[in-house]
Amino acid sequence: MNARFGDDMEALLRHRLEKAGTSGPRRAGVWLRAIADVLVQAIALRFDERAERRRRVDERGETMMTFRSLLQDIRYAVRGVRATPGLAALAVLTLGLGIGASTATFSIVHGVLLEKLPYEDPDRLVVVWPEVNANQTMVALAEEQMASLEAVAGTSGWSLTLTGVGEPRELDGLRVSPAYFDVLGARPLLGRTFAEGEDLPGAAGVVVLSHDFWVNAFGGDPDVLDRLIDLSGADYDRRRVIGIMPPGVEDPFQEVDVWIPLEGDPALGLEADETWFVNTRIARIAPGATIERANAEVRVYAGRVQAAIPNVISREEAEAATVRGIREYRTRDVRASIWVALGTVGLVLLIGCFNVANLLLARGDRRRRDYAVRVALGAGRARMTRMLLIEAALLGVSGGVLGIAAAFGLVRLIVAQAPDTLPGIASVSVSPTVLGFAVTATLLSTIIAGLVPALRAGRVRATATLGGGGRGAARGDGNRLAPLLVGVQIALAVVVTIGSGLMLRSLTSLLAVDPGVDGENVMAFRPVPPGGRYPDGPAFREYYRQVTRRVAALPFVGSVGGIHLLPGTLNNWSFPTFPEDFEIREGEPVPSVNFRAVRGDYFETVGMPLRAGRPLTDADGENAEPVVVVNERFVSTYWPDANPIGKTLSIFSRDGTRYRVVGVSADVRQHRRDMDPLPEMYLSHEQVPWNQMSMWIVARVRPGAAEPSTRAGAIRDAVWTVDPQVPITEMAHLADILVETTRGTRFLTILLSAFGALALVLCAVGVFGVTAYTSGRRRAEFGVRLALGSSRSSILRSAVSRSLVPVAAGLAVGLLAAGLGSDVLESALYGVTASDPATFVAVTIVLGLTAVAASVIPAWRATRIDPARVLASE
Amino acid sequence: MTSPRSVDDRLPLHPVEFRILLALHDGATFGTRLVERIEAAEPAMTLYPANLYRRIRDLLDGGLIEEAPAPADADPRRRYVRLTGLGRAVARAEARRLAGLVAEAARHRLLTEG
Repeated sequence: MNARFGDDMEALLRHRLEKAGTSGPRRAGVWLRAIADVLVQAIALRFDERAERRRRVDERGETMMTFRSLLQDIRYAVRGVRATPGLAALAVLTLGLGIGASTATFSIVHGVLLEKLPYEDPDRLVVVWPEVNANQTMVALAEEQMASLEAVAGTSGWSLTLTGVGEPRELDGLRVSPAYFDVLGARPLLGRTFAEGEDLPGAAGVVVLSHDFWVNAFGGDPDVLDRLIDLSGADYDRRRVIGIMPPGVEDPFQEVDVWIPLEGDPALGLEADETWFVNTRIARIAPGATIERANAEVRVYAGRVQAAIPNVISREEAEAATVRGIREYRTRDVRASIWVALGTVGLVLLIGCFNVANLLLARGDRRRRDYAVRVALGAGRARMTRMLLIEAALLGVSGGVLGIAAAFGLVRLIVAQAPDTLPGIASVSVSPTVLGFAVTATLLSTIIAGLVPALRAGRVRATATLGGGGRGAARGDGNRLAPLLVGVQIALAVVVTIGSGLMLRSLTSLLAVDPGVDGENVMAFRPVPPGGRYPDGPAFREYYRQVTRRVAALPFVGSVGGIHLLPGTLNNWSFPTFPEDFEIREGEPVPSVNFRAVRGDYFETVGMPLRAGRPLTDADGENAEPVVVVNERFVSTYWPDANPIGKTLSIFSRDGTRYRVVGVSADVRQHRRDMDPLPEMYLSHEQVPWNQMSMWIVARVRPGAAEPSTRAGAIRDAVWTVDPQVPITEMAHLADILVETTRGTRFLTILLSAFGALALVLCAVGVFGVTAYTSGRRRAEFGVRLALGSSRSSILRSAVSRSLVPVAAGLAVGLLAAGLGSDVLESALYGVTASDPATFVAVTIVLGLTAVAASVIPAWRATRIDPARVLASE
Repeated sequence: MTSPRSVDDRLPLHPVEFRILLALHDGATFGTRLVERIEAAEPAMTLYPANLYRRIRDLLDGGLIEEAPAPADADPRRRYVRLTGLGRAVARAEARRLAGLVAEAARHRLLTEG
């Protein structure tokens, strides 16, 4: 105050003194009164401050009062929960399962579909014309002609075997154009990436290592830079390590251990360029351009390419050319299924919430008297509602905590069981986003489960409940919501179980498909001579001849053969083929036929029947007549009306070596059982145009002839008697490899079936609970009826049928909904339609019977009453 | 428009505060001049600096008065204050309250002579 008004205060004092005049006593009086004024005001100000503080304390007290009442409500809620531990446990378990399952499923959605890809500006990454294979020149032309693309790179998968560094191992290699790492926006951790010219034929071999591979194989040693390592693919080569990528750099479509340059001669031109293995082209959209523009440009580019090489690419393929976002493209097969899974588990959670709501409603009815007392004591409606909401929140939060804990375990299970080919499966985890989903699910579940019971509690009228007399009035007007909720649950459960039923049938159909080979009792293994060990073709092939002979000599082995690409794996080789007498029309591409090299008694070993002619044998050697076995699909496609035996074909060029057809094999589903077989040709390993094709050896074991544990060892020993220096990079049962092809379908089926089972259990619990509740409420009625002579069985029928009314309604609504909505599953189904009547009927029966069973027990208990006692107590 | 609640909250006013508000109805002024106006209306109210400026501070803090720009020829050390809209409303309310009290006293014949 002094600081602000000091001058004014002084002026007022002077004014007073002036008014007092010159009289000494009067001036002294002014001074005394001024001093007293200051003292009095100082004391008054102190009191003012204390009053202010007291006011603030009172305000806090009011806040304390509100806080205290909240604490009271929480204590009441805890007491309520502890008073009914069974109900609480059931509610928490129900919510926990639902929240856990939906969180785990969302983690898949997030990891596979939503998580940002680990590249620079990933939304600008695209695949170019993924519908066809390309050659190197097409890649260069795309970059030249499509202005909307900043950089284009081709990639081609390539298996390699690393030798000379610890155990020999199979590597996932990727051949890439020099622009590849620029497209991804990835920079090396050490060293460099490919330079211009390193992709030209004859250039010194170089390789870039992935971070994981570098750590696994070389212990993360930076001295590996500049070292030469042995990587033998189809032909032996040693390459210099020029770079190591940082962790997290990976190809969008496959696992990669090493990257090597995609070799090709740019001077060749489109027609002469035979590098037709550039399976994928990735590109980066240029700044300022859009995918739409790129799509317009790609059709023009594709048209030009097709016009230049009509013998390779058809007009339809050119017209269908697209540019697609990489994320969208790589998840195209699984997107629908994953969203279906999330939708399904959401419905299951909803069923669980309704169960808990019904539990709380039923308990609310039992506690009506208690609520009425509280209302009479002054608790307002809002307070009552708040108390019940807190109770629901306690259950909800407990369920949420349980669910999140369960989600961690479920996610680990999912990642272990999911097919490796599921893109982004490695990023599936309980990330902060996923946890956020769990929290949201918990919140929503709490509201859905708790709101209606809480609102009902708030509507309790003290006088009606307490003063009304008799238990009937105290029970209020009953819970009409319970049957409705059960009906809704049943409807939801129908939708869920139909989904799992359809998937189960689909899986059964898929497993019933004959893959064309019999993998039972067949061992498959891969001896790969290290680079340079057998530098020339004949020596290389002689090695495999020896191995086949030694393994065939084992007492428990029935037959032995070899193939360069096993059925059931994703790898494929296909080549332009010129079948005799098959006219390739002007403007149409040359047929591209799947190719396999075989040796020994391959067909017999894997149980592939011959439909005509003979199989390839060791007699079809290097110097014998070039021969080939084709499959049925080849014949029906290219020689539908002719006898194929004796016809010839050539590969790569019309004027190349002509191979004579000596046999027709049955069709094999090489990759996926749900894909129709394609035309295929089998050449003898002795007659292929490449020097160093490593082979899988397959050996059919006589059942019971040897212990499974000893077979692998005996085979290994037999292989090593030929050459102990050659590693066996893989060994497996062919049956296991074949089953892997159905892993994706099995995974989705298991997931949806688990949800279906959970839905079924929850519904059973729901029906059980509601029947117990409604039957309990009808005790008086039952007592009267029994006293009047009704039989217990007719009471039972009455109780069960009453509870089944909402079940029937729910079934009807659910079947309708499922019939309308099951199309979402269409793309994931095989061998069964989305509206399959058998499934619908089966689900109706199963759910109906479950509901009946769940209602019989409580209904039967209700009929066990003593009518005299009941009537007396009512 | 001042809310009725905020006006009623301030009542009853301290007599000195009411006097200050009444005195400021004649226009903005500074401390000594204000005291002169008050003493002209009620000679018995002798205000000393600490008392006066405590009340002025309270009225300023309560928003019933505000500091005003001094006239051009004024002593720059003088701090002028004037009524705010709220202050006017509160003064009116207090006057009505007092008038009500007086009417009540009149009903009880407390105002008749003798």
